[in-house]
Amino acid sequence: MANLLCYSRNRAASVEQIDETTLAATCRLQDSLTDAEVTLRIRLPELEIIDAKGTFTRFSRDECSGIERALEKVVGVRIGAGMKKIIRGLVGEITDCNEVAGLVEECCHAVILAFTKDMLGLVPEELAKEKEFFAKMVKENIRLYNSCAAFAPGSPIVEGIDPP
Amino acid sequence: MLKFQRTKLVNIINNNDGTLAVHGTLDDHIYQIEIDMVIGIDDHAIRAIDGKWIRAENSECRRAIPFLKNAIGIKIDSDDFTQHVNKHVGRKACPHFANLIIECSNAAEDAVDMLKFEAAGKDQPELTFEEYLAGNAPVVPKDKPEARVSVQPDRPEKQATKEKKILVGLNGFCVDLHIHTFPASQCSSSSVDEMLQEAGRIGLDAVCITDHNYVWKTADIHTLSEKHGILVFNGNEITTDQGDMLVFGMHKDVQGIIKLKELKQLVDDANGFIIAAHPFRGFLIFNTNEIGLTVEKAMQRPALKQVNALEILNGKVTERENVFAGKVAAGLGMPATGGSDAHDVAGVGKYATCFDVKIGNEEELVEALKSGNYTPCKFRDNIATKAQVAKNGILEI
Repeated sequence: MANLLCYSRNRAASVEQIDETTLAATCRLQDSLTDAEVTLRIRLPELEIIDAKGTFTRFSRDECSGIERALEKVVGVRIGAGMKKIIRGLVGEITDCNEVAGLVEECCHAVILAFTKDMLGLVPEELAKEKEFFAKMVKENIRLYNSCAAFAPGSPIVEGIDPP
Repeated sequence: MLKFQRTKLVNIINNNDGTLAVHGTLDDHIYQIEIDMVIGIDDHAIRAIDGKWIRAENSECRRAIPFLKNAIGIKIDSDDFTQHVNKHVGRKACPHFANLIIECSNAAEDAVDMLKFEAAGKDQPELTFEEYLAGNAPVVPKDKPEARVSVQPDRPEKQATKEKKILVGLNGFCVDLHIHTFPASQCSSSSVDEMLQEAGRIGLDAVCITDHNYVWKTADIHTLSEKHGILVFNGNEITTDQGDMLVFGMHKDVQGIIKLKELKQLVDDANGFIIAAHPFRGFLIFNTNEIGLTVEKAMQRPALKQVNALEILNGKVTERENVFAGKVAAGLGMPATGGSDAHDVAGVGKYATCFDVKIGNEEELVEALKSGNYTPCKFRDNIATKAQVAKNGILEI
């Protein structure tokens, strides 16, 4: 008997530098029920959302049609601490379509990861120096301590670092 | 040229034994991971999970794998599913695995809907998927019932021994302007009684309870003051479209996200005071200066014109972020405050704000805040115990 999929999902997020002070972040979702895309324009260095556009071309819930008003609410929001709560709260005022906030969040998360990637490009190849690099990172930002298994007590990276 | 790209794929198979086999992959410029889960169709519970790293940011990321099992038993349709996964898998294992688990689980919920629709369609062939979804929509309360905290007026049986307050180099009436208590703030892990006991123990003159979007009753604040023998003031940390704000002197219960300019109007009408909380809290792996945010550019942020002061000493941000906030406040000539942002007993009083006048009630607090005559300070580390005084010969003030 053929082992067929009963459901499939593909979500892609990308970040492009448009010019010196502008990024474009896009999230596309295609799955068995939904086809949607959101694009944000983000101003540097504030990471402020200056434009938000999107569309659902296929959807199974009526509340996911006409999302423009919901997307307008996130203009002016800065990508940073607490952004998920702010995005969900603002979008949730206009629509019950949960996926809209999800697409915006994925765009914002991709922007953060784009800058994270730039920092991680500096990690040395040698293991001992890699450990030093991350240990210094944890010392400088103690919020990293115990934020995941790699930075949890017992990991060589945080050996000798006092917990906050 | 793309700066970054991430792709997530989820494929689901019906095992025909009441479970779904869910396979997920996450592939981006930094990470590549895979997970396999078994999810119950009727109970929506994660029955089994396995995962692997293909590319990671460091060689210790592999430690995450054994903790993926923390997801077992979690129901994917529960109200707090995302929070639960982020807490028990994201923090214990890895936030990227948590992200993929959430993606796979959301997909699985859709898959369950589709399978149940197919089954329903056998009895009702005219039923459309949209009609099926509308008929089976979960009832989601728009407003969560407020978790009102009940305050017990009785003094605790065992009073913590008050350490003699010996200030080393600190003058003034010192107030921790920013603490969170459980359950009013779900993110806190200490009760209001525990937090206030600690505030008294370390010798703070007063403390402001600033729970998230929660207004304490004035009567309860007075009861707490009497119970713990320390002045307690009523505050509120309100989330706006421009970040979190500490609000004093305005007691309207604000739920959801409010525009900062609307909050300012409410606070101005109440003759209150707004402090921008941790205004330059950055990111885990990089700082705001690494994306080109200078003090001069930060000073131009329009939101700063709508607040009365900046919190430049906050116990939950890095020293660099505090220093940056301090430079912005100095550049703008704005008043600056300190507060621990404590979410547990150990954090109380890490930072405080020392006023040059004694403050007796909330009205006087707001007046003092408006005067600008105060200094943010490191408090907890500056308190010496009697034993330390005896040892080091520090003068008692």
